[in-house]
Amino acid sequence: MRVNNVRKVFESSRGTYVALDGVSLTISDGEFFCLLGPSGCGKSTLLNIIAGFEPVTAGSVTSGDKPITGAGRERVMFFQDAGSALLPWLTVEENVRFGLRVRKIAKPDWQPIIDKYLRMTGLDTHRTKFPSELSGGMRQRLQIARALAVEPEMLLMDEPFGALDAMTRRHMHTILLDIWQRTGKTIVFVTHDIAEAISLSDRIGVMSFGPRSVITRVLDIDLPRPRDLTNPKVAVLYNEIEALLAPDLARAAALA
Amino acid sequence: MQETAAAVTKPADGAAGPDSRRSLSSSLSHVALAAGSLILAFLIWQFLSTVLFNPFLIPPPLEVMRTAVPMLMSGEILADVAISMTRVIVGFATGSLAGIVTGVLLGRIRLLHDLLDPIIELLRYLSPTAMIPIAVIWFGIGELSKYFLIFWGTFFIVVINTTAGVWRAPIARQRAAQCLGASQLQIFVLVIIPSAVPYIVTGMRVAMASSFMSIIPAEILAADSGIGYLLQKSSMLLQTNRIFVALLTICVLGFIVDRIFRFFVDRVLARYMSFVSQT
Repeated sequence: MRVNNVRKVFESSRGTYVALDGVSLTISDGEFFCLLGPSGCGKSTLLNIIAGFEPVTAGSVTSGDKPITGAGRERVMFFQDAGSALLPWLTVEENVRFGLRVRKIAKPDWQPIIDKYLRMTGLDTHRTKFPSELSGGMRQRLQIARALAVEPEMLLMDEPFGALDAMTRRHMHTILLDIWQRTGKTIVFVTHDIAEAISLSDRIGVMSFGPRSVITRVLDIDLPRPRDLTNPKVAVLYNEIEALLAPDLARAAALA
Repeated sequence: MQETAAAVTKPADGAAGPDSRRSLSSSLSHVALAAGSLILAFLIWQFLSTVLFNPFLIPPPLEVMRTAVPMLMSGEILADVAISMTRVIVGFATGSLAGIVTGVLLGRIRLLHDLLDPIIELLRYLSPTAMIPIAVIWFGIGELSKYFLIFWGTFFIVVINTTAGVWRAPIARQRAAQCLGASQLQIFVLVIIPSAVPYIVTGMRVAMASSFMSIIPAEILAADSGIGYLLQKSSMLLQTNRIFVALLTICVLGFIVDRIFRFFVDRVLARYMSFVSQT
């Protein structure tokens, strides 16, 4: 996946807003990549472009050699607000089945796939519940199960655990890493939480505050997993990233 | 009434024991309060009738009951109820159907919306009552004019609600479905329309109430049957007893129809309704 010199301009009645200006990025297959930056830095915009929901104003995004022209079935987007992303009138099992149905997977294969991914996400005992009866963490796991069931190459996650409490979030990290290691999917994960980025990713792309956001730096997180956040190297990385973000945060504060 | 509330909470949490007991005791106190409220109303009615005003202007409750019984026994009032209800149901059903189809199209096709919205925004101020005179000229005083008037009242309410519902289908839900591989048609049928159900149902419920409000003036001014006609005829003959019977009938009828509507929604559409508060 290559993002090449992407520029994104939003035109509205209030004027023109240059969200991204010259963003370049390469994400390799099977990589866990985090986009990190303050709120309003265009991370979600970039993710929507990678997903194919938003066209670029200039530049290109290619997967393999093919340019991305629209939402593709190889890349499944994963939303923070699971309550609205899931289909609330369908049960846990029916939500997963929905994906298989629209992807035209042969009916006899449905049940084994559903069973496999509900077990992987620990939801197999909650099959007949509706999303409204699930906890926040369970809803996110259902989103993961539904996404994995259609066998995408890439998972795009937009601050997926931002609305969860700290304990549940840690638990979700473990589950996600476990699934990532078992399935070998490429994951692009958007967050504004430095610790979350360090504990999850292979590489972190740090983005600057908008307008005209760019990726200021890409850091390799060369630490063994599972990661120990008390490791002194983590503190070094944390400070390094914080220093990178500091001028932006000051600017954001001045604007607010 | 409490039955419907129980049906709503049941899917929300499986725990049966203490919860159902609580809802039973709360339903008992609810029934007691409702009964108390009705008794109080009858007492005030009696007071107004015999002390404050006079029994001719406001016939006392028992007098009204005495008038009601023979009207019920002879089937006279039931015939009027059947006629009015048929008009309401035909107008409401066709109006809802047309309203849902139009609303979905308007919510989906931007150009159509921009084209038709100004017209709808103006026409919706023409209440069914305002349309009675022209309806009589167009359709006569037969059934068709009543169907038309109820249709008219229902249509605009349902259109506006349906359009809003289609519009507000969460973008994340549509995009998630798109990622999973859903075609535009599938997103429309399997995601957007079900997401709009709570709005559509709310619109239909308001429209049902409005149908009850508009059938009466329609029958008073342009009919020779139905509850509205009964009101009109009794007024001409200064039969206040019979007027009160007709008024009570309207109250009871509206109440029953709304409960039936809610029962249907809770039973058949519960899974589409349960998330209203959530999103």
